[in-house]
Amino acid sequence: MKFAAAFLGALAFAALPFLTSSNYIIGVGISALIFTVAAAALNLVYGFTGLLSFAQLGFWGIGGYAAALTVVTFGGSFWEGVLWAALLNGAIALVVGYPTLRTNRHAFVISTLTFALLVTLIARDWVSLTRGPLGIPNLPSPEAFGQRFDTPAKFYWIAWAFAVATIAFLYALCSSRIGRTLVAIKQNEPLTRAQGISPMPYKLAAFAIGAAITGAAGGVYCFELRIIDPTFLDFYYMQTFLIIVIIGGTGSFWGVIAAGIALSALPEVLRFSEDLRMIIYGVILVAAMFVMPSGVAGWLRERRLAAMREALR
Amino acid sequence: MTIDAAYLLQLTLNGIALGLLYALIAVGLSLIFGVMEIINFAHGELLMLGAFAMTFALPVVGLLYWPALAAALLATMLAGLVIYEILLVRLRPDEFERSILITLGLSIILIHTVQYLFTATPRMVDTQYGFDGIAIGTIRLTWTRLIGAGAAIVAFAGLYLTLRFTQFGRAMRAIAQNREAALMVGIRPRTVARNAMILAAGLCGLAGSALAPIQLVTPYMGQFLIFKAFALVIIGGLGNIPGAVVAAVALGLVESWIGGFFTAAWQEGAVFVIMIVVLMMRPDGLFKRGGMRVG
Repeated sequence: MKFAAAFLGALAFAALPFLTSSNYIIGVGISALIFTVAAAALNLVYGFTGLLSFAQLGFWGIGGYAAALTVVTFGGSFWEGVLWAALLNGAIALVVGYPTLRTNRHAFVISTLTFALLVTLIARDWVSLTRGPLGIPNLPSPEAFGQRFDTPAKFYWIAWAFAVATIAFLYALCSSRIGRTLVAIKQNEPLTRAQGISPMPYKLAAFAIGAAITGAAGGVYCFELRIIDPTFLDFYYMQTFLIIVIIGGTGSFWGVIAAGIALSALPEVLRFSEDLRMIIYGVILVAAMFVMPSGVAGWLRERRLAAMREALR
Repeated sequence: MTIDAAYLLQLTLNGIALGLLYALIAVGLSLIFGVMEIINFAHGELLMLGAFAMTFALPVVGLLYWPALAAALLATMLAGLVIYEILLVRLRPDEFERSILITLGLSIILIHTVQYLFTATPRMVDTQYGFDGIAIGTIRLTWTRLIGAGAAIVAFAGLYLTLRFTQFGRAMRAIAQNREAALMVGIRPRTVARNAMILAAGLCGLAGSALAPIQLVTPYMGQFLIFKAFALVIIGGLGNIPGAVVAAVALGLVESWIGGFFTAAWQEGAVFVIMIVVLMMRPDGLFKRGGMRVG
């Protein structure tokens, strides 16, 4: 049932370029797909494993720069760029994750945040590598099998294939024994230890996989923008990912996917002013934390449980 | 470049003044963490509100420094009270992640509301002192910097005496050390948390209004400082007030020295590098947290 729905949903998204010729709508579709992937990766780290990580923003930026630099400076292809973005982020996540995961959860949040800020500083100040605030403009469009993906509709296929592949991988991971172990660590770490499971490798693996996927998503996204500069590390992206995960429901796989698609379209609908839009985002975040702290998925689950209790009475 | 003593002394004095301002912010964060076990992401926005209050109060009182400072302090303390009563009072202890997300949302709302109302254009503030200052030999210090540092030292002395000798402060230390035991002897966590929030907001407002005449006032000024303050409370040990002060003054000195001899990039990045090194060696921060110790 769920598989059929997911399959139909993926097919429906694949059909978008046939339904519209508007480059604007296709652009929104590309952003929706990539943001959903990044949010799903954050959901693996925060929703399943319970690690509130702001480092995702840093990984997103490193991924973008890694992919762009592979193509522009080192003369590789787009595909190698995305691959390097994922591998580099996975490696950095292992190095950063090991000391920070040893600390308590309070310090973890803050140190991941400072990691993200450090990446922003490097992007701005290491001018010889990243070209500083000017950024790297005119990123070339990807190429494969003698085909240039130079129109939005063609680039949409890349984003679609990337999203379907990573979401399928994340679903397989989250619904496996590893996924259940991660949830167990989130719910009760001492009990998990008592069962003979060492939490550290699992946490580190979740952190690194989340980083690799976020990085690859950042790599694909900067080729959609065609330019990368330090604003690619704007805190706005982190807020968007977080809001998607929270509204969708932390730890609910399909809830976050649905929220990703819905909320990526929302900023386009709310297009009156940059500031008003951010104010609305903030209000949504605060209100959601009070009204439905476990997101739409959690709220629906509670409703269903309440209905079942009512039926038994 | 030759290193001459006067230049070094000038850097040191600037560093101490900078460090004391960092300390005002970090101490507030530490106090809130000690009492409520939450991290206030909107703390930098309290500083920004303090600076904006100073900007608007100064012309009203005819550029007089002290009345404007008092008005800005009152405004931020009021803001702290409102934030506590509307949002933070609903948080139960041990809802750490939720507290972060709520205060993060609040910070987004505050920054963008201020930017929407007053635009992002940086503002210059003039006081009765202007750019006057005192000169000892070749070293120059402006009055606004001196008063800022002096006010910070007075605030720390006041905080120390309050926490140490008044019922008000002892209740805060009691909650920070052992919540259940404090409840049993009849201390109300709600009242204490509210007081702590107002006190922390006041310290932050003091930092903001002292900063207003020294640097440009923008809606984003708080966000930038708060991230450093987060790193400082981690380095000093979460919830440890003296630790935060020591870490903050040390950071001010290090940044000022680095700024004097290297490029600005190293100055901004120093705090994060130090934090990662400290966390590698001591996951609980330099001064391990043992409740809220004062003195």
